[in-house]
Amino acid sequence: MAETLRRVLNLGIAAGPGKNTAEAEPPLLLLGGPGSGKTALLFAAALEAAGEGRGPVLFLTRRPLQSLPRRTGPALEPLRLQKIRFQYPPSTRELLRFLCSAHEARGPAPSLLLLDGLEEYLVEDPGSQEAAYLAALLLDTAVHFSHRVGPGRGCGLIVALQTQEEGGDSGNALQLALLQRYFPAQCWLQPDAAGPGQCCLRASLEPGGLGPREEWWVIFQPDGEMTVTRWPTQAVDTSSHKGSSSGGQP
Amino acid sequence: LTLPAVVEELLSEMAAAVRDGAPIPDEHLLSLKFVFGSSAVQALDLVDRRSVTLISSPSGRRVYQVLGSSGRTYTCLASCHYCSCPAFAFSVLRKGDSLLCKHLLAVYLSQITRTCQQLSVSDKQLTDILSVEKTQEA
Repeated sequence: MAETLRRVLNLGIAAGPGKNTAEAEPPLLLLGGPGSGKTALLFAAALEAAGEGRGPVLFLTRRPLQSLPRRTGPALEPLRLQKIRFQYPPSTRELLRFLCSAHEARGPAPSLLLLDGLEEYLVEDPGSQEAAYLAALLLDTAVHFSHRVGPGRGCGLIVALQTQEEGGDSGNALQLALLQRYFPAQCWLQPDAAGPGQCCLRASLEPGGLGPREEWWVIFQPDGEMTVTRWPTQAVDTSSHKGSSSGGQP
Repeated sequence: LTLPAVVEELLSEMAAAVRDGAPIPDEHLLSLKFVFGSSAVQALDLVDRRSVTLISSPSGRRVYQVLGSSGRTYTCLASCHYCSCPAFAFSVLRKGDSLLCKHLLAVYLSQITRTCQQLSVSDKQLTDILSVEKTQEA
């Protein structure tokens, strides 16, 4: 699902006509600390996918969005917003129930499945097998939706996970390593130098063996407006900041 | 959670051999033993005993169940590596010293040899099977 996020980050600059590569796209894990813009990017991905003339977008989150992220790339067209269905499973048990029964739902299958705040569903139930089952069920549900959407299209999956501050305990590291096995493609959001009132992040997309790493600057203005610029160089020196590579996280 | 390319290759070579109507060549069985150790023999035993069932519902969703040697039934997802057995939780997920448990390997081998039992259930029953898995370990 790196392609949808890549289009969001490129803001249509280099995207050209939408590539229908969703079926071949691996599920993507969006990682970042508190307030790193994960929800804004997920919402932008939802709007992007909703404009593709395909099925609806399913957005799972524990809590309703407090406000619509402002100008997150694609326009907030009513027709796009209508295609985004929000579901608010209040507990891990309810999320599991939703995923286990996803095949019972009628109507058009989603073309994109999004989950915000996976960490909130993992704190209740910290066992590694439970975390693995949740990850595996998310994948299984997306595969089932893909099957229903039909060949050549598929249903993408992007899951946002809040990472711990430096020095998180070993249980969290274990859980992250486990999730990374189920989500080969990852996008890290990391704080970077910011101007007054701005929040500046670096987004590193590692598409899981399907291509080179790509990077962008994501800047949130004080009014919440998001602007994205591509990191200037194509070839990124991976050794200079290993913190953003999947192996170097705590 | 993906298998190393060498394992994928071995499984697809075995599948090709079986498609041509031949028994699985001994050298492939030896490779299997080399890669998976004692799990390979146990998995082949599960296949021989037809312990793998592919459960599907009208929705098209599918899940595997494997009847273990202890008499317990374990659930394996069809779309990605997951088995509800303790060995998967410990050796595969936690320690990372195994690629697969014997049940998942038995699922792959029974796909190759086309010896899965088939069971059709209602959409609601499939929901229950997937949901029960959660409490199985408790």
